[in-house]
Amino acid sequence: MKAPSSQRSSELDQDFVNGVLVRHDGRPGALLAILQEIQQNNPRKYLPRETLSYIAERANIPLSRVYSVVTFYALFNLEPQGRHTVCVCRGTACHTRGSRDLLDNLVMNLGLKSGEEGERDQLGLTTPDGNLTVRTVACFGQCALAPVVEVDHVIFGHMNEQRMQREMKTLEKREQQS
Amino acid sequence: MTRIRDLSTFNAVRTTGLGKLRPHHVRIAVGMGTCGTGNGAEAVYSAFADAIFQRGLDATLVSTGCFGFCAEEPLVNLYSPGQPLVILHRVRSEQVNQILDGLLEKNIPEALALCKIEQWDHITAQIDYGAGYPMVPLWNEVPFFQNQKKIVLRNCGIINPDDIEEYIAVGGYQSLYKVLIDRMPELVLEQLKASKLRGRGGAGFSTGMKLEFLFKSNAAQKYLICNADEGDPGAYMNRNEIEGDPHSLLEGMAIGGYITGATKGIIYVRAEYPLAVNRLNKAIAQAREYGLLGQDILGRGFDFDIELVEGAGAFVCGEETALIASLEGRAGRPRPRPPFPAEKGLWGCPTDINNVETWYNLAPIVARGPAWFTETGSTTSAGTKVISLVGKVRNTGLVEMPLGTPLSQYVYDAGGGAADGHSIKAVQTGGPSGGCIPHDLFDTPVDYESLAKLGSIMGSGGMVVMDDDNCMVDVARYFVEFTRSESCGKCTPCRVGLDKALRTLTRITKGEGREEDLVELEELGRMIRDTSLCGLGQSAPNPVLTALRHFRHEFEDHIRAKRCHAGVCLELALSPCENSCPLHMNIPRFLQLYKEGRLADAFESVIMDNPLPASTGRVCQHPCDNRCRRQGIDESVNMREVHRVIADAVLLSDQFEEAVGRVLAKKRKATGKKVAVVGAGPTGLTAAFYLALLGHEVMVFEAHADAGGMLRYALPEYRLPNSVLDREIEIIRRLGVKFTFNTAIGEDITLNDLGSQYNAVFLSIGTWKESQLYLPGNELAGVFVALPFLEAEAKAEPMQLGNHVVVIGGGNAAIDCARTVVRRGSAATVIYRRDRGDMPAIPEEVDAAEKEGVRFRFLATPHRIIGERGGVKAIEVTKTRLGEFDTSGRRRPVATGEVQVVSCTNVILAVGEDVDRDFYRSAGLTITESGMLQVDRYSLESSRENFYAGGDLITGASNVSNAMSYGKDAARNIDARLTGDSHFDGLIPTFQYDQTAPAEPSKSPRHHAHDLPVAIRAKSFEEATTALKPEEAFEEACRCLRCDIRDSAHFAVSHR
Repeated sequence: MKAPSSQRSSELDQDFVNGVLVRHDGRPGALLAILQEIQQNNPRKYLPRETLSYIAERANIPLSRVYSVVTFYALFNLEPQGRHTVCVCRGTACHTRGSRDLLDNLVMNLGLKSGEEGERDQLGLTTPDGNLTVRTVACFGQCALAPVVEVDHVIFGHMNEQRMQREMKTLEKREQQS
Repeated sequence: MTRIRDLSTFNAVRTTGLGKLRPHHVRIAVGMGTCGTGNGAEAVYSAFADAIFQRGLDATLVSTGCFGFCAEEPLVNLYSPGQPLVILHRVRSEQVNQILDGLLEKNIPEALALCKIEQWDHITAQIDYGAGYPMVPLWNEVPFFQNQKKIVLRNCGIINPDDIEEYIAVGGYQSLYKVLIDRMPELVLEQLKASKLRGRGGAGFSTGMKLEFLFKSNAAQKYLICNADEGDPGAYMNRNEIEGDPHSLLEGMAIGGYITGATKGIIYVRAEYPLAVNRLNKAIAQAREYGLLGQDILGRGFDFDIELVEGAGAFVCGEETALIASLEGRAGRPRPRPPFPAEKGLWGCPTDINNVETWYNLAPIVARGPAWFTETGSTTSAGTKVISLVGKVRNTGLVEMPLGTPLSQYVYDAGGGAADGHSIKAVQTGGPSGGCIPHDLFDTPVDYESLAKLGSIMGSGGMVVMDDDNCMVDVARYFVEFTRSESCGKCTPCRVGLDKALRTLTRITKGEGREEDLVELEELGRMIRDTSLCGLGQSAPNPVLTALRHFRHEFEDHIRAKRCHAGVCLELALSPCENSCPLHMNIPRFLQLYKEGRLADAFESVIMDNPLPASTGRVCQHPCDNRCRRQGIDESVNMREVHRVIADAVLLSDQFEEAVGRVLAKKRKATGKKVAVVGAGPTGLTAAFYLALLGHEVMVFEAHADAGGMLRYALPEYRLPNSVLDREIEIIRRLGVKFTFNTAIGEDITLNDLGSQYNAVFLSIGTWKESQLYLPGNELAGVFVALPFLEAEAKAEPMQLGNHVVVIGGGNAAIDCARTVVRRGSAATVIYRRDRGDMPAIPEEVDAAEKEGVRFRFLATPHRIIGERGGVKAIEVTKTRLGEFDTSGRRRPVATGEVQVVSCTNVILAVGEDVDRDFYRSAGLTITESGMLQVDRYSLESSRENFYAGGDLITGASNVSNAMSYGKDAARNIDARLTGDSHFDGLIPTFQYDQTAPAEPSKSPRHHAHDLPVAIRAKSFEEATTALKPEEAFEEACRCLRCDIRDSAHFAVSHR
């Protein structure tokens, strides 16, 4: 079970949250869209505990329901995300073309520990320095280019170990420069 | 732009749109779907933009969706007035200037041209482009498109999806207009029912009926929902449809709104499809602007609007009640039905939910009528289905074919079959709710019922092709891992059952499976299927149940033999090379020992895994080459050649005696049991080697005068010198194995004799009988059969040859014959009925033969041999062309009737070998349907107790290492049976050697064995390929990435 993180309470941008809530005011079923917008606005792309409580209070939705929604959908994060994201597609076509090895090697090379058996397909691991998050997606719908990996929202098709290492080095350089 | 309120405005927009689609100047459209951009389309687009600007060209540049052949992206459409639309493929930005240079002179770069379109049927309109470019094939002449019929994909890749006017130009919104003018919603509903359109999300319910339910409801508020939460991994047709042609979806839904009385539509789209979201948003805005959505559509008093909602990454939201829950802002958990959404859906109002593709079919059916629609497809399933053809096929992309088209047409005709060196095993349809269909059932038509009969479903249309590198247990486990993590957890069978199934499957993939697991998995699967609340749980066991149904032997291999032949389940293998080796040699170990300079240890490692190391070092088919992980960096490690170097360095040197001593030291004390081995070929020799080591008294019976079988009598001296083989056999003799030569089973000695004199009998007589090829002229002098020809050569009693010998066949024997002929000073021509790439012979051998002057005539099959004075004068061959794919995944050669005469003096028939069945029947052994001796897959015991068999005899003609592996397994099993205990693993030596993987791969490229210069080798029987030099072998050993070293949790299990 994921637990809401209580750190970084200063990240709650009340004005922004209020703005989003006002914009969706009265529209039934808007909770998902509200949460998506607020998470998108967070510099670390996640929903801190304080933000969730605030949303629940202001939107008059029980916190339990907010929490239920946030933990149900893969898109919501309860932990801060890395500055860069590498997302490995675990779709069937990618699986038949070796995406599990790509993922396992990536996680291993970063010194991260992948989840228990059976949880590798819903992975969200961030390096301790907060630089990089490794995620998986059920399918990008890019099956003709399998195996596919997305690095900072750019799709790379026909991935192999060598290209992966090259992309990781590029990321490293970019990080050093900034 | 003003709103369209009348026909004249509509037509004016249409004319404007047509002017954009077919302008008076050049139009360049770059495929910018997600697949295009993933392949570099953005760079191509900006290169075109720059070049057009710099040249000041009068040209339009637009982006379009994907034309379906995703593997060939970036696709670029070129149009110049009066000329066909040409589709270029795999365009790179640096080619842009060359393309523009040519285009101005009406030259099309042929190498880049994939196909052309002279006339396009948008279903709702026809567009003529013009004829021309005779060198470029029409789009439907390209194999990938040949059998396709684009109804759903009618506009994709042709129009600019961001421009509503282009959509209107090709007949868009005309069906909506017609429906609004006719004002007869019931008639449209009748038409939809008559069209037999069924839901394309997978369930296949009649769309007309579903919409009628909604129509009949009197509620004030009704909803239409488009389910674009395309969640099946491996299926992406909805993404492409939306990206390439968003307005078709809007039009379909607007028609649906009018005929049901719904005023609000919602498109629930995956957040993972940002481009689709973006294009839909633009399309909705444009449609509102033009008065095609919103209030008073087309001035006909009809109100309908569409809202776009993004999902948040939950597979179960593809289930309609879960999707509704998600739209209501809750966690997407399904609820029991009834009530169905048609009664109580979104916010409790009647709701109709359809898949994207279903909506795409509405406008065409309204435009062309139900009778036109039912012309396509099968009787129960009308129309087409877009399939995403992906996985292990050459051509990947979207294929839209009529429902009822057989699977083989997708996989082989459109998909082009397997990649080189691989064969297709199965196709997975229906994603996590479907199953794997084995290749021998590829004549199954793709429709709802036929796939269901095989335990799979059509689902949303994903088709993932699997080849021999894919493990079916792993695939089943993969899908259960997916559904288990996507299960919403509401109902127990799905939540707990899938977890349990996953644990069992995981155990099996780790080699910890139990015999009873399979039955338990089946029971569990049926329970989950029958008792789960929603479609996710009800269909989640399908991948396991179909795998158990069609690929049970793979599960049994994992459980009983602890083997994963595909090499996927790494816990069952030491390394990919070890797993691919029929003898399961510890390849990384001998490479490392050699690298450490420990030749004697390396040799011991090699010979204890493989008793004929020098022979196999020369002639093995080296499957390890195809599995080596180093291929991801440069080329595979040349493992076979290193093992040859190790074997030669010991066997052919003064280190021989020491090596023999080390092998003999392993011999166990005598058991007093006697084993007869029938046949002294590689299989029999291998069995004898291990049985003797295990302490049994072994007698080998052999019809020939010497041991070695095919190695001695079929392989020419230039490939395998007898001196090498003799050394290997000497070790086997010194282990105490006795031979009785010139003794044929069934003639000189009977099976009953053996049965009474020996505790166990191992039959390994191979395939010495020639396959029969009836050919007029067979009886002429100068016509030979390959094996006797090679055997005569080996016995130094060569047959008489004239100056030109034709060899018929494409296997190793054919090449061996041809190369022998050349060495005898005659010319040789190999005639083969298929193409070069289809030859079963080792490619290096074919290349070497060609260099030595052997000529090849492919795609020709012998018709008759023409004689003259009792000898051969010529051979008549019929040219063939490659027809449909057969179950081997190769195209079947079809005779064309065109006859050619090749004059020659001899003909050698090398068309395969067969098992001599007669004496088995007489000995009371059971023969399988395919004509092989029947044995238990794991024990190798035949239908007669204590009679074991292996090698080509039970598999048909195969190759050396494969055949030897049966000898090894038989020795293990016979020993276990005779002693009641397992001693085999005790024979395998252990060594201490470096267990650190190289930090960086070594820089050295692959070293190839050295061929003697052609001029020398073509004239002599001297060994044609010499070994690597020691320093080269050392570098090869250093190239190994040491896949055998893994963290301890992964450590390999002991086999059997």
